[in-house]
Amino acid sequence: MSAQPQIELVGIDKHYGTFHALKNIDLIIPKGQFVALVGPSGCGKSTLLRSIAGLESITGGTMKIAGEVMNGVPPRKRDVAMVFQSYALYPHMTVEQNLTYSLRLKRVPRSEARKAADEVAKTIGLQQLMHRYPRELSGGQRQRVAMGRAIIRHPKAFLFDEPLSNLDAALRVHMRKEIRALHDRLGATSVYVTHDQIEAMTMADHVVVMRDGVIEQQGSPLALYDTPATRFVAGFIGSPAMNFIPGTIADDGQHVTLELEGVAALPIGRSLEPSRKVIVGLRPEHIEATPGKSGQIVLPVSVVESTGSLTYLTTDGAPELTVVITGRSDIRSRDTVGLNIAPERVHIFDAETERAL
Amino acid sequence: MRRILSSITDGKGFDLIMVGMTMLFLFALAGVPLVYNVVMSFQQVDMFNLNTFSRPFAGFENYVAIVSQPEFWLVIRNTAIFVFGSIAGQFIFGFALAIFFMLSFPFASTIRGLFLVSWVMPGLVVGALWGWILAGDFGVLNAILRGLGIIDGTMFWKSDPNLSIWAVTIANIWLGLAFNMMLLSVGLAGIPRDLYEAAELDGANGWQRFTTITLPMMRSTIGAVLALGLIYTLQQFDLFPAITEGGPANSSNVAQYWAWQWSFQLFDFAKGATVSMMMLIFVLVASIVYVRSTRHEVRG
Repeated sequence: MSAQPQIELVGIDKHYGTFHALKNIDLIIPKGQFVALVGPSGCGKSTLLRSIAGLESITGGTMKIAGEVMNGVPPRKRDVAMVFQSYALYPHMTVEQNLTYSLRLKRVPRSEARKAADEVAKTIGLQQLMHRYPRELSGGQRQRVAMGRAIIRHPKAFLFDEPLSNLDAALRVHMRKEIRALHDRLGATSVYVTHDQIEAMTMADHVVVMRDGVIEQQGSPLALYDTPATRFVAGFIGSPAMNFIPGTIADDGQHVTLELEGVAALPIGRSLEPSRKVIVGLRPEHIEATPGKSGQIVLPVSVVESTGSLTYLTTDGAPELTVVITGRSDIRSRDTVGLNIAPERVHIFDAETERAL
Repeated sequence: MRRILSSITDGKGFDLIMVGMTMLFLFALAGVPLVYNVVMSFQQVDMFNLNTFSRPFAGFENYVAIVSQPEFWLVIRNTAIFVFGSIAGQFIFGFALAIFFMLSFPFASTIRGLFLVSWVMPGLVVGALWGWILAGDFGVLNAILRGLGIIDGTMFWKSDPNLSIWAVTIANIWLGLAFNMMLLSVGLAGIPRDLYEAAELDGANGWQRFTTITLPMMRSTIGAVLALGLIYTLQQFDLFPAITEGGPANSSNVAQYWAWQWSFQLFDFAKGATVSMMMLIFVLVASIVYVRSTRHEVRG
C-alpha cells in the first residue's frame, strides 16, 4: 500500500441553500481499497460520491485525488469513472460504441480502441453482445456494459452509485462477488454507495456509515459489527437488526436492570456508573434460547419462523425481542423460553447521547 | 337485434363507428377537395363552366403554361428562400432558445411560456406588426440596426426587391420560433440527465456532449420539427397579404400566394390548382420524412 492516499477528503462541507447535506466529512482511501458508503436514504452518501466525481460542487473542505486538489476541477478532468444506478448507457450507441466512447473522445486510433474494447469485453463476458444496442440487453448485461465502460479507462478511482439495486436478488448476490473480484484483479480503488448493509459488509474493506450528512462511524466491516460506536450503527449493521431495550445500571455498577418483564438484572462484564440511564443492545444471533423457565430472561414466544437453516423467534412483551437460532428448534409459539447472553456481548449505549459505553 | 345494439355500444361496431367517422371527415374535407384540385389542374376552367364537373380535358396544358410564365423561376426562387430561410432560422434560434431555457434560472418556464404569444397570434396580426417593425422610415428594426452601427442609411425592407422576400422570411421565423422551441424543448427534456453526467465523466466537453449525446438523441424530434416546419412554411399565407402582397414586382411572391392570385385575383382556377399541385409534391416528401422520423424513435 503506497503512502499516498488515492482519495483524501478533509472537512468536506456541502450546502444546498439552507440545507446542510454534508457536514465536515473526513475520509482517507488508500490505493487499492474498496470502500462502501452506507446509510439510509437521504444520509448524504450519494451526494458525497457525486462530489468526489465532481458532479456536485462542495462548499467547503479539501478534496484530493491521487494527491492533486480537485476542488473546482470539472468531472472530465478528474479521471474517475462512475457506474450509475440507472447504468446511463448511451441508448443510440452499440455496446462497443458505449465501451469506446471515452477513448474516441480522446482520439485514440480506431484499431487501438477496438482492441481495448475486445479486452474489456473478454474480462466481463460481453464478446457476443458487442453489436447490440442497450435496449436489446437484459438488466445484468447492461450492468456489465456500465462496468466495462468504467474499466476501459483505467481511471484513478471507480465510483459506484447503488449499481445493483435494479437487479433481482439472485443476480445481485452474483454481481456482488463479481464486482469485488474485478476490483481485486484490476487493483482498483473503489467507492461504493449502497443502502444495503449486507452489500457493504460483504464487499468492502472499509465501511463508512453515514447519517444526516455526518460519518457516524468508519472501520472494517467486522469492527463495525463487533464494536458499534453508536446505537444507530449498531441497529444498521447486522441482520436481523439488534434488539434495543431501555435499562438502568444497577447499584453495584456491574449489572443492568431492563425495562422488560421476566428479567433478572443482566451482568454486563464491566463497571459503569450506577443508576445511569442506558439502552441495552442484544444481537439476535448472540442470544441463546432454551425451552423452559431457566435463563436470564424468561419470556413467552409469540412467533416462530424457520427458513430451514435458521429459526427466528419473536418474544411477547414490549419491546419484542428477536432471537436467531442456527438450525431447527423444537420451540413452538406460546412456549416459554429462557434466554441467555454472554456479558461481553451486551452492548450498552447512553440513553441520551446514544453513544456506546 | 340486441347483439347488434350491444356491438354498437361496446364492441366491433363501436370501433367501426369511431374509425368510420374519422374517415368520413377526412374524405369529405380533405380527400374530395384534393382530388377535385388534381382533376381541375388537368381541365380548362373558366367563369362559365365553374359550376359544372364536365369541363374540357386540357392534358398538361396548364402545367406547361405555368412553367412558361415569366415569373415562374422567380417564384420558385422566392419560395426556396422563404422555405429554407424560415426553417433554418426557426430551427437554429428555436434550438438555441430551447437549450437556453433548459438551464434552471428564475422564471425560466414563465418566460418560455411567454414565447408562445407569437404562436397564438393570428398571422394577419403578426403580419401587421412586422409591417410596422420593418417599415423603412419609422421602423424599429432600422432604428436598432442604425443604433448598433450595422447600417448607415435606411433599409427599405418591404419595397426593395432585393430585401422584400427576406422581410417576410424574418416575420415568419418569429412566427414559427415558439413552435420549434416547444417541440425541441420536449425532446431535450426527454434526454435523461445521467447520460450527460456519464458523458462528462467519460471526458466529453460541452460541445462534444452536444454532438454525441444531444443531437443523436434528438434525431427523431429534429426530423419531425423540420418536416412540420416545411409543411407549415408552405402553408404560410397570411404574412404575404399583410406585409408585401408578393411585391414589389413579384420579388416576394411565393408559390402559395401565387396560387391564390391565380385563383382569386385572376380567376384562372385551373392554373391556381396547378400551382398548388406542384407544391403538393414537396409537401408529400416532407410528410414521408415526418412519418418515418416519428416512427423510428430511438429511446433506450
